[in-house]
Amino acid sequence: MRINSEGSPLRAQDEMAPERLSDEILVIQVARGNSLALEALYDRYASIVLGISLKVIGDQALAEDVLQETFWRLWQSASTYQAERGSFTGWLFRIARNLAIDAYRRRNIRPQAMPGLDGNESVLEQAPDPDVNVVEQVQSVIQNRQVRNALTSLPNVQRQVIEMAYFYGMTRQEIAEATGEALGTIHTRARLALQKLREELNREEFEG
Amino acid sequence: MDKDIEELLPFYALDALTDEERELVEKYLAEHPEARRQIEEMSDTVSALPLSVSPVEPPRRAKKAVMARVVKDAEARARSSKQSQSSRREMRGRDILRTFTLGIATLAIVWVIILNGQITLLRNQISTLNTALEAQSNSLNQVIAKLPQATPSNVITVSLKGTNVQPQAQGQLIADPKSQSAVLVIVGLPPLEAGKTYQVWLIDGGAPVSAGLLTVNENGQAVFIVTSKEAIGSFKSLGISVEPKGGSPQPTGDIVVLSDL
Repeated sequence: MRINSEGSPLRAQDEMAPERLSDEILVIQVARGNSLALEALYDRYASIVLGISLKVIGDQALAEDVLQETFWRLWQSASTYQAERGSFTGWLFRIARNLAIDAYRRRNIRPQAMPGLDGNESVLEQAPDPDVNVVEQVQSVIQNRQVRNALTSLPNVQRQVIEMAYFYGMTRQEIAEATGEALGTIHTRARLALQKLREELNREEFEG
Repeated sequence: MDKDIEELLPFYALDALTDEERELVEKYLAEHPEARRQIEEMSDTVSALPLSVSPVEPPRRAKKAVMARVVKDAEARARSSKQSQSSRREMRGRDILRTFTLGIATLAIVWVIILNGQITLLRNQISTLNTALEAQSNSLNQVIAKLPQATPSNVITVSLKGTNVQPQAQGQLIADPKSQSAVLVIVGLPPLEAGKTYQVWLIDGGAPVSAGLLTVNENGQAVFIVTSKEAIGSFKSLGISVEPKGGSPQPTGDIVVLSDL
């Protein structure tokens, strides 16, 4: 019989290998204090969380801090996750993104990979670790490629607005100021960018 | 449609609004279903953005640090939970004891109240009986006055008590032991149903001797002249039983009064 971190016997559902359970089941287990479930989610998403953090902060040590804090937040507040309000990954990545933006603002460190009009992003070039679950790795690579293709299809000025807003938490006014464009132009670019991105993701048959 | 608010929708989906702007949008969304539909589509698209970032495999120390913190917290939660359960058990035990004690105390109080009620009832009954007895005694004095053969100095009074069958019955036998008659005053005997009668018996150690049939009034009271072929003083006891109408040669029913003379 397997014992969870609480010293309690795992239930029949828990007896399945955690890596085979869905995100939603694992997060419920995390909310019940099952550290094995948290470990499974860590193994599944830590590399993406670190990728997001690193993209936002541009500093490996700080990004690792954000990574740890993200999963600590998950451990502490898993019970607040509501599946009907969105996917688990959307929720988790939002935590990571917000923590990273906070860390970035707190330390006042400029991101190393601030998206430029040329589209060069050094962080995006890093490959996933080959030790992670192969299926998940393949799936992650496919999703990564689909979203990157969709983003790449956007005009650079539109992609820039999207990334400045999402990854760096910049307001419309800050984006307008940073790019030297009128606020109305930023509004238009953001709306068009999301429309185009949606169309491209549909064309790529993206499944998030 | 509010054009200014509509322009904020993409930034709402991108989570890049100020708090004030976010509040404005949320109020707007609450009243505009079409805007909600747009936001759902935009949010769905935005949720793909994190996946545009290439995964970066974290160093092992990061996982160790996370899991060490989590496991430590899980253990603390488990300890806290056990302590809480133990505490709840103790509380439950104390609650049971407290409830039991309160229950006993309540029962005791109720019992005292019932006893007090019964005592009061009995006192009232005794008072009623005493009043009745006093009234009967007055009548008795009149009767005694009419008894030519008895002189007051020879008269004795014997208290009579009801048996367990009729414990509230009590009375007095006023007699000259040498006389063959006496006056019986009795209270506390309920009127009998049709077909039954009280019968008075004098007992000297042998077979009871009938001393007559006794009828009580609606209040359960009676004054009765006991007559016997032998002197009253020759008998050791007096009894009253419930018999079929007309009486019986020997007692056959419940003995409701029995006292030594």
